Amino acid sequence: MLIELLTKRYPGMRAWLTQRLSALVMAVYSVFAVTRFLIVQPSNYVAWIDFFQPLWWRIATLLFWISLCIHAWLGIRDVFKDYVPNPSVRDVLDKLLVVSLWIYLIWATWLLLA
Amino acid sequence: MQNNQQKNSQKEKLRPGQMSRPKNLNLFTIRLPINALVSILHRATGCVLFLILPVILLLLQLSLNSAEHYQTVIAILHSPFIKVMLLGLAWAFFHHFFAGIRHLAMDVHWMTTLMKARYTSKVVLVLGALATLVLAVKIWI
Repeated sequence: MLIELLTKRYPGMRAWLTQRLSALVMAVYSVFAVTRFLIVQPSNYVAWIDFFQPLWWRIATLLFWISLCIHAWLGIRDVFKDYVPNPSVRDVLDKLLVVSLWIYLIWATWLLLA
Repeated sequence: MQNNQQKNSQKEKLRPGQMSRPKNLNLFTIRLPINALVSILHRATGCVLFLILPVILLLLQLSLNSAEHYQTVIAILHSPFIKVMLLGLAWAFFHHFFAGIRHLAMDVHWMTTLMKARYTSKVVLVLGALATLVLAVKIWI
């Protein structure tokens, strides 16, 4: 039953679950990031660089950012669905949303892995 | 009773465009129950957080770029006006976080009765305010 709901025949269910899973990833990362920040307490430039030096931390942060982009896409798309009744205007806004999120994602990837 | 039924059958004959729907466009005449308030704030804070994304990326890039740029970012974050903005954004994050946890809990059918939903709404508002207060103390003292 549950598996059937996640097939392509029910895109709404997939979106719903994706929104929740990305939220969970971000929630776990957020708690972890705040805790790590409070423990390490980077107070100067060198310490700040060190904070972002470990590869596992960069990958975790990237994972957070990917979840964020997916979460924001689904969330803002729902907002447009609710408040922008004109389909052609909404279509333009949806495209702008996707483009800006791709830019943020590429930007963050370059920032964290380059 | 019969009168009512007559009215209903009359309504059904009307086309959708002709139906007399109640219109209430003045938002200030709607009194939001506390759970609705938490819900709409979850959406509003989500939008705010989305809009601030490029600024966060820019600040992160600058801060990691060089020691001078790091100092610039620190200086920006220390100005009183920015601190107030930062607190507002922090509240947006905290509210979105706690209200999101509440929605997740309700998705697994936890705290779903009306009384419990009202109670958790209050908890979410208090936790958001408390977290912001802690941060305020931390960045001003």
